[in-house]
This record gives sequence, C-alpha cells and structure tokens, in this order.
Amino acid sequence: MKVIKKLKITAILFLLFIFSSTILAETAVEGGDDLGSLIKIMVALTAFLVAIIMWLILVYSEKSEAAEASGFSKFMSMINSRPPIDEEQNLLLDHDYDGIKELNNKIPPWFMAIFYGSILWAAVYMVNFHILGSGNVQEDEYAEAVQIASMEREILNRSGALVNEETVTILDNAAALASGKDTYVKNCAACHGMNGEGLVGPNFTDDYWIHGNKVNDLFKTIKYGVPQKGMISWQAQLDPTQMQEVASYILTLRGTNPANQKAPEGELYKYE
Amino acid sequence: MNVEKFSYDNQIVKLFLIATIVWGIVALTVGVWIAVALYYPELNLGLSYTTFGRLRPLHTNAAIFAFIGNAIFTGVYYSLQRISKARMFNDTLSKINFWGWQLIIVLAAVTLVSGITTSKEYAELEWPIDILIAVVWVVFGVNMIGTLMKRREKHIYVAAWFYIATFVTVAVLHIGNSIELPVSLTKSYPVYAGIQDALVQWWYGHNAVAFFLTTPFLGLMYYYLPKAANRPIFSYKLSILHFWSLIFIYIWAGPHHLLYSAIPNWAQSLGTVFSIMLWMPSWGGMLNGLLTLRGAWDRVRDNPVLKFFVVGVTAYGMSTFEGPMLSLKSVNALAHFTDWIPAHVHVGTLGWNGFMTFGMLYWLVPKMWKTELFSKKLANVHFWIGTLGIVVWVIPMWWAGITQSLMWKEFTPLGLLKYPNFLETVLQIVPMYIMRSVGGALYLTGIIIASYNLFKTMGMGSFVANEEAEAAPRGPITDKLQYGMIHRYLESKTLLFTGLAFVAIIIGGLVEIVPTYLISSNVPTIASVQPYTPLELEGRDIYIKEACNSCHSQMVRPFRSEVERYGEYSKAGEFVYDHPHLWGSKRTGPDLHRIGGKYSNMWHYLHMENPRSMSPGSLMPRYPWLLENQLDVSSLEAKISAMRTLGVPYPEGFESQANAELMQQAEIISNDLLENGIVTEPDKEIVALIAYLQRLGTDIKTKVAETK
Repeated sequence: MKVIKKLKITAILFLLFIFSSTILAETAVEGGDDLGSLIKIMVALTAFLVAIIMWLILVYSEKSEAAEASGFSKFMSMINSRPPIDEEQNLLLDHDYDGIKELNNKIPPWFMAIFYGSILWAAVYMVNFHILGSGNVQEDEYAEAVQIASMEREILNRSGALVNEETVTILDNAAALASGKDTYVKNCAACHGMNGEGLVGPNFTDDYWIHGNKVNDLFKTIKYGVPQKGMISWQAQLDPTQMQEVASYILTLRGTNPANQKAPEGELYKYE
Repeated sequence: MNVEKFSYDNQIVKLFLIATIVWGIVALTVGVWIAVALYYPELNLGLSYTTFGRLRPLHTNAAIFAFIGNAIFTGVYYSLQRISKARMFNDTLSKINFWGWQLIIVLAAVTLVSGITTSKEYAELEWPIDILIAVVWVVFGVNMIGTLMKRREKHIYVAAWFYIATFVTVAVLHIGNSIELPVSLTKSYPVYAGIQDALVQWWYGHNAVAFFLTTPFLGLMYYYLPKAANRPIFSYKLSILHFWSLIFIYIWAGPHHLLYSAIPNWAQSLGTVFSIMLWMPSWGGMLNGLLTLRGAWDRVRDNPVLKFFVVGVTAYGMSTFEGPMLSLKSVNALAHFTDWIPAHVHVGTLGWNGFMTFGMLYWLVPKMWKTELFSKKLANVHFWIGTLGIVVWVIPMWWAGITQSLMWKEFTPLGLLKYPNFLETVLQIVPMYIMRSVGGALYLTGIIIASYNLFKTMGMGSFVANEEAEAAPRGPITDKLQYGMIHRYLESKTLLFTGLAFVAIIIGGLVEIVPTYLISSNVPTIASVQPYTPLELEGRDIYIKEACNSCHSQMVRPFRSEVERYGEYSKAGEFVYDHPHLWGSKRTGPDLHRIGGKYSNMWHYLHMENPRSMSPGSLMPRYPWLLENQLDVSSLEAKISAMRTLGVPYPEGFESQANAELMQQAEIISNDLLENGIVTEPDKEIVALIAYLQRLGTDIKTKVAETK
C-alpha cells in the first residue's frame, strides 16, 4: 500500500501547486531572473506529470475496487462514485444502437468538482484582471520589466563599471584583441569582410573613415549604429567591453592590405 | 411486427478507406521531408516548388483534410448507416462527396506547391477551391442529415451528435473565415484586416482542430470503441454533459493562439479562461472511452484494435490537458512561437487522430471483407513502431521549445541579451530537429506496414458492396417533452438537434469577433500608419507566395527580451491595412515586424540569394529565383481597387498611376543596389520584396521621430 500513499501525496501536492497563486499571475517579471525560468520549467514539467498521474489513478482504481477497504480506496470510491462492475446490469438503459448499449453511470464527482472549479477560476480570473484591475495586464507587465532593468542599469552606470564613448580607450593586450577578433568574426565579418576588406560595409584596412578614426568614434558608431547607411546599433547585443575590444581590434587592421579590398569611402585621415 | 429489407452501402466506405491509406502515406512522407528540410535547407534541390514554405501547408492540408478527412468520411459513412438502420440518404450525393473531396485534395496539392495561397493557416486554399469545399461539405451534410431523417432507429446515437456538430460548425467556420475578395482566379484578399483577421483566422484555426480533429473522432470513438470491446458505453449522462459543454466552450478558446499579441486584453483573457474550462469537457470524452473498457482491459493486451484505441484516447487526454495548460499566459509566454507547439499538435494528430484511424481500419477491413486480419503480428509491430515514433517526435520538440525560449529570454548581468544572435538559438536545437525527423520516419514506416497488412487482408477476403440488412420501420415517435427526458426528446428530432448545436457554437465567435468591429477602442488608430505603396503591396504578395510567414512571425510581444531583440512591441493600429495579417505562429527564424530599415537593401539582396553569405550557418533556403523572376504586375490595378473596396484609403483613380509609382520606387532601390555594386533590373521580384521588408514596422517610427 506504500505506492498508493505516495500516489496520494503526489496528487495532493499537485493540486496544491496548481491552485497556488504563481500560476494565476500572468508572467513573472523577466530579465536575468533564473528563478523565474526555473519556476516556469517546473510548472511545465509538473503539469505534464499530472496527466500521467491522473491516468494511473484512473487505471489503478479499477483494480483497487476488489481490494479491502483501505482509506485510499474509500477515498477513491467516494470521488469516483461508481458501483462495482458486477452490478452494472442494474444500470443498463434500454438503448441499443447496432448492438451498442449504454449504462446510466453517474458522472464521477471528481470530474464535476474540477469542472465547477475551473468555472469558478475563470470568473475569478476575469474579475481580477478586467473588473478590479488588480492583476497586471501585459502592458503593465512590460512597463514593470523595463523599469526594473533600467534601475539595474543605472546602478551599474554609476558604479563606473561600464565604459562609454567618452571614457573608452584602446586596448592593446593580446587577450582583449583576440576576444575582439572573435566578436568581429561573429558579428561584423558578414558585412565588413573576414579581414576587414569591406563588403556591404566599408573597408577598415585603408586610411579612409566615414565616421572618424578614433576609438571613441568607432565605439560610438558600433554602439548607436548609422541606420540610414545600414549599420545597425549593437548596444543591445554587445556589452561595452565587447564593443571596446572590437573597436580596438578593428584599429589594428589598418595597413594589413588584404585581398579584394573595397574602394575607399569617407575622408582621408593622416597617419604619421 | 413488419420488417423492412434494405442494404448498407459499403462501396462508398471502401473508396474512402483506400483514399485514407493512400493520402496518409503521402501526407506523412511530405511531413518527414520538411522535417529534414528544417536542418538541411538544400533539400529543396534549388526549386521553388519544394521549399519549406510551400511544402509545410501541403503537409498540414494533406494530413488534416486528405488523410484525417478521408478517415472521418470512412468512419462516418460506415457507422451512420448502422446506427440509423438505414442506407445513406442518396448514393449520388455520396459519390459527389467522395470524388469532390479527392478533386479538392489534388487541386490543393497543385496550387500550394505553385505558391497559390491565402497564407491563412489551415485555410491556405484560394477562393475557387474554397467554394468547392463549401459545396462538397454541404453535400456531405445534406447526405448525413437526410440519412438521420429517414432513420429506422427512434433516437439519434451520441456518435451522430458529434457528426452533426462537426458538419454544422465546420461549415460555419469555413465560410466565415473564407470571405475574401477575388482579384484574379488565383488571388484574393480577405475582407478582414489586422487584428480582426487574426481573430477570425484563429477562431477558424482553433476550431478546425476542435471540429475536424476532435468532434468527428469522438463520434468515431463512440461507435468503434464499444463495438471492438463489446462493452456498453460507461455513462449516457456523461455523454450528454461533455457533448454540449465541449461544443459550446470550444468556440470561445480561439484567442489563446494570440496571447501577448496586439489583440485586446479582454479577448486574450476570454481565450485563457475558456481554455481552462474546456479541460473537463474534453476529458469527458476520454473518460467515457476508457471507462467503457472497464472489464475488457485483459483483452487490450492481445487485441491490436483496442491497443490503438487506448493509446489514441490517452493521447487525446494528454493533449487536451496540455492545451489548457499552454493557454495560461505564464506558460504561453514560454511556449508560443517555439517547437513546443508542434509537439503539442502532434500528440493530438499522431496519437489521437492517427491511432484512432488505425484502430478503426484494423477493425473495419476484416469486417467489410469478411475475413481475419492478415497478420496480427504486423499490426502489433505497427503499434509499437508508431508509439515509439510519437515519443521520439514529441519529447525532443518539447525540449527544443523550452531550450530555445529560455535562450531568447536570457539576459546577461549587464542587462544585455545573452544570445543576441537569433541563429545561435536555432543551431542549439538542430540535434533535436534531427531526432524529430527520425520519429516521423518511424511513424511513416508504421503506416506503410499497415497498408501492406490491410491490402493483404482485402486480398484474402471477399468484399460485398451492398450489405443486406433488415429492421423494423421507425413508427411514430412517442417521446414527450417532459422533465428528466428532455434530452431523450431532442435525440428524436434531427433538425431541432442540429439547430440547437448551431446556437451553441455560434455564440462564442460572435461575442469575441463582433466587438472588435463595433468598439473603436479595441483598435487604437495610429495616424502615421499609411497604406502600402504599389511596390510594397506586390512585395507583400511575394512574401505570401513564398510563405515566409511559415517561419517568420510579425508580432513583437510586449516582453523586454523581444523589444531588446527586435524593437518596439507591435500595436493593433499598425495592422489596419494588412489584408491578410501575417503574424505567423512559429519562429523558426526571427520575427520580422521591425525588420524595416535594419539592414541595407544590399544585405537583403545577398541574403535572399544565399542566406549563408550574410548569416553563416543559417537554415533558411536560398531564393535565387526571386533575383531572376520578372515581377508580375498584371493585376496591380485590380489589387489596388480591391484593397480600396476593403477600406484601404487609396485615392480614387490611384490604380492608373500605380504602375508608374511602382517603377519609380523600384528604380530608387535598384539604383541603391547599383551604387553598392549589384546590377539588377528594377522589375525583378526581389526589388518588390526588399521594398516590403524595408517598410515593415517603420510607420510607427516616423511618428516617434515627429514627436521628438
């Protein structure tokens, strides 16, 4: 009977879980929040388990009817409310369709309980979100997520941990340049060529620059982009250190003279 | 008592049965093909006809309407005659039903691979075929209702309740969703736009699942399961309760396909709560099926028919639990647009529809050919290989969906997206795509084994086209409308029953769709949103023709992670001129609603020629023909005037200048490409497509710029 107890506990835990408030809410606020994701996965997995558990209960209750009246089987017969199979003759209706007969069994009480429960839940949900307005609808949820993120960002900015277009300097250590090259190959090479020779975007290896040749200029172009020329903004995709590294790496490409260079664009800058 | 002699029409059942097997193999083969194409894009062999975008609707239409559709007709034509104790109403109508349906399937196959499509999911067929479908479907309905009217049985059995609901609702859905304005024989625009089009589409799409994949199969279950198990139906009361609650509630749940989209919040919430309320009515069917097997479980082990039914009904229970769960907004935020959704759908189609069909075929063929099944062993092999196929299909896709979604949403401690490059999240799940195609191939192997087994069985037996039967005439109906017997009374009145089913299914759709027209606050207008230019309109039609919306959504949801990745979240007012809407339902590639202005024209040109040149590792097929095909502007004038009829404010007489305006804009783009070293004629399809892509989602930015 140990198995039955376990089954029972699992079923009760699940019911508690499904009616707990986390599921009633729309989403948890997202953003760097591993716990939120974890909860979601747990919800998903637990939910899948229930289908199987319910099924097991259903099938199991079939056999337990013959067993001695344990607490569990009493409970099961209460929520199922169906007579033993030997007595089904009494329930036979006078329906006969091509040999198919029908029994007049009661609808299982657990079924009705969940059905009514779901109707009640629906009413609570609608009242909560659309009459009382006490639940966050999606626009509020979004505004909240953005606000939290911008507060976190502000804290980081003030701490001085982030470089920006004013404070940026050239990095020349090998590790930073290697990391810059990595970022370049993944994100920039498609338009500027594998070796900076230029393709859709301009050539980095000549002495001509469209938006300036200082590391600050490059940083700014990368960060904000030049949408009218097709250069996208990267600040949502690269963090400030990555932008600093890739700008530093690009500056090392001048004079490398790769094959298939694109014609110069922009102004000629003098280098000593 | 006098007894009438008559015969059952088995010939029509045989025709539908063979069509089921043949189309089943075709539909699943295309399915495996596109499953492979997802990770091996060169599989299209460089042809436009075989790209994923064209074959995906072919697979869904073939699976739903050809395979499952023919299975429904097979099952209905056999069982309806017997529970009515009458031959079909009219043999000619039966034949029109059969040949008309096969004609539709062939036309569908030809048009879909040619890129003739409305882009609306599960309703991709163009208007002439839509009319044909409506006609054939009504023929089926008349034939069915006619049979019920002349039945010898006093009451209508529960199986037929579900058949009636199926006929009525599919007719309403199909006609409602297909109201479109023809531009030419092969092109039309839906009268609905933007959020209304989305609501109508998913009212249809969701209920196509409900009333084409669910209710007819519940009807089949109520006939074939008790027949095969030789057991009485568990509960007549439960039948009544779950039938009416199911058909009433199902209709309301459509908006759960549009959670976190630009449709009004109240409509989304209705979608959620009605989906939750749908859980028990759906499980009512499962319960009545499984509990009917009470006392017959020992036979399940060695009867392949019952084995298929048990797994089929259990799969139905699983997917109808998963459905309400996915309708919770917190779960939906995680699952929508990912591979979790195809996984959910395939539990239903492969498990419920497929296995119920196979169980039915294994029972019917020996019965109709008066023999034993050729090989029980092969049927068991089919059962296990099919079950394994479903598991190998579904579990990797659950994980793929959850994995990718979490990657989309993950931020670094600095508040940046951890995986800003969409492609990275796709490449992560390629191994799961490969496993899925293996699962599909297993399932396909199963149906091939089944067809061998069934055709062998047919060869062994002798088929009787007209099965003799006899029954007493119905005589006068004595039921009275009295307390406790109301439903029994209804069961004796075919037309009244049909009428009430119609009332039950019409309410939900009206409540959800009509207010979006009547109450203006549901679609807040945005002044800067303007109609498409002629070139953009033509480009949009190329987007539709190539079915870009099979893999790319146009709906940025209001999540911080999506706004960071794509741009401002999508607003209802941005779609008011979108006939049809192109929001999509699955992101195999990134969202495109804010693609406009993000990349240069040259980038798009090179990307269409070979996606891997701009995004190394991309799984998108190449579209080199767009660079060569001449843009067909022959119906441009008709398109403009059709759009005006539908309410798009093109000025009067604009169609006469449309061509010139189109060329002007095309030249700007081709000149820009030329400056970047790409020589192309302005009248190529690629130019129009670029114009459309560059326009997408930009109107709202104009407004932001102005207010600044």
